[in-house]
Amino acid sequence: MNPLVLTSRHPVAVTFRAVITILLIGFLFFPVYWMIATALKPNNQIFVQFPSLVPTEPIIANFWRALSQSNLLGYLTNSLVTAGGSSLITTTLAALAAYGFAKYRFSGRFVMMNFMIAAQMFPFAVILISLYPMMQAAGLLDTLLGLTIAYVVFALPPAIYILFSFYSRLPNELIEAARIDGASELTILRKVVLPLSRPALISVAVYSFTWAWNDLLYSLTLVTSDNLRTIGPGLLLTFFGEMQQDWGGAMAAAIMASLPAVIIFAFLQRFFVAGLTSGAVKS
Amino acid sequence: MRKANSLEAAQNRFGFSLTIPALLAFLVLIFGPFLRSAWLAFHEYLLTSTEPRFIGFANFIKLLSDPGFLLSWQVTAVFVVMTTVVTTIFGTAYALLLNEPMRGRSVIRAASLLPWVLPSTVTALLWSWIYNGQYGIINAALLTFGLTEQPIFFLSDNVGAMMSVTTAKVWLSTPVVMLFVLAALQSLPQEQVEAARIDGANDFHVIRYIVLPHIKKTLGVIMVLQAMGNLQMFDIIYAMTSGGPVRATTVFSIEVYRRAFENWDLGTASAVGIIWFLTIAFVAIPYLRSLFKDAD
Repeated sequence: MNPLVLTSRHPVAVTFRAVITILLIGFLFFPVYWMIATALKPNNQIFVQFPSLVPTEPIIANFWRALSQSNLLGYLTNSLVTAGGSSLITTTLAALAAYGFAKYRFSGRFVMMNFMIAAQMFPFAVILISLYPMMQAAGLLDTLLGLTIAYVVFALPPAIYILFSFYSRLPNELIEAARIDGASELTILRKVVLPLSRPALISVAVYSFTWAWNDLLYSLTLVTSDNLRTIGPGLLLTFFGEMQQDWGGAMAAAIMASLPAVIIFAFLQRFFVAGLTSGAVKS
Repeated sequence: MRKANSLEAAQNRFGFSLTIPALLAFLVLIFGPFLRSAWLAFHEYLLTSTEPRFIGFANFIKLLSDPGFLLSWQVTAVFVVMTTVVTTIFGTAYALLLNEPMRGRSVIRAASLLPWVLPSTVTALLWSWIYNGQYGIINAALLTFGLTEQPIFFLSDNVGAMMSVTTAKVWLSTPVVMLFVLAALQSLPQEQVEAARIDGANDFHVIRYIVLPHIKKTLGVIMVLQAMGNLQMFDIIYAMTSGGPVRATTVFSIEVYRRAFENWDLGTASAVGIIWFLTIAFVAIPYLRSLFKDAD
């Protein structure tokens, strides 16, 4: 329970708070509402100068059209494969490294940690300039595998940092006790440390998934075949552009494109929120 | 004693071996390419040509006298300052308001993260539609209230386009700031607030003299993180305006993208990238310093 801050009962204060609350909630929620409302309207209610705020005769034709006119399901599958795969790789690599950095003493570990933290400053587009010819040379250009590997770039450094601060707070006694019981280092990692870190691992996995899921830059450049496109460039190339006039279909496609991440997030929200804030802000 | 030492050495070797896969991935995918791009910045290199040719600082000199590039510096600065400041204000206000008990608070809090979960292309589509010049809801509202006579084509106007991409980015990031500020408010000393109330402090006084000093450090971290993220922003801007009209929303990321992947001029693109990196580093160094302190 957070301490109360804004408790003034003065009418001016109460009104001011109410107005700001409504404005902010409106700002955050209205666009999502408008996306849904537009998706449910027929074209003759969309292309008017003064659209009605609610769809008076809701229809689902826009959704069918969006599905039939674009390779939406293919884009979604490709996004799930690449974002899921890279999230798995990133989380595994980061968990092992963060545990090693946090709980063992070997020379050079501070230098390596700091180096990786500093790498968060490298602009992704600058890395991409040289990643592109590398992928080309490796024959991974225009493949889902190449894109999955490239996505590790986004979240690896922050993932290591978030998990490092988690493992640093894990009591050493737990590990010592297991050692006294004769457990090997690998057993300790598998049977003691990894089960304890499940919430942190989930939060990092969701974090890196979101990065990849949201990407446009890497998917636009590293993949060019339409059947391999992910959701970002897929939506962009289908529904943007000067010819684009199908806003009902675009909004319907946008809703369908958002659903997987929204569902995943709804289930894992709890882990994620705690992990994100505890990793970055020390109270 | 010696046995204990060798045991510990073996343990630490194990610990080091755990970091090897991540180190390799880091070197191959992040640090290596970054170094190579830095090296390319001093070369003339088109993807179509065979070998990079060393030309010293020529790329940089060419850029610093290119008005287009200098404009992208300004555009980036405007975008980053506006998004960072507005997001921080909105997020903090939202956190303070959602900190008070109200009906449905936990649902609102959770649902407020929605903008952050949507794919950024969806965010871009959404705001392009809202700001649409012919049928957009903002134009409908402006016309209804008589604030404009003619619909405004926001995305084809220099200021309008910048406003549109800024709104979309603020919308996307406000929830995250809200989360961080809510977390920081947990440790606010309740007694201090109550004591101030007894002394007759109103909401504004409490915020100004107790809350803000308490969350100052968090706000600093948030602003640096936001600024670093906004300096890297590509998706929403590229999807909404492609950096246009003309160059009005061409931030560094789009400048690099265009030079590298539309003109295939990897040398100049890398030089832009290095200037961009130095700009980020300038913003990030105070933050990184505090992180290093934590890591040690």
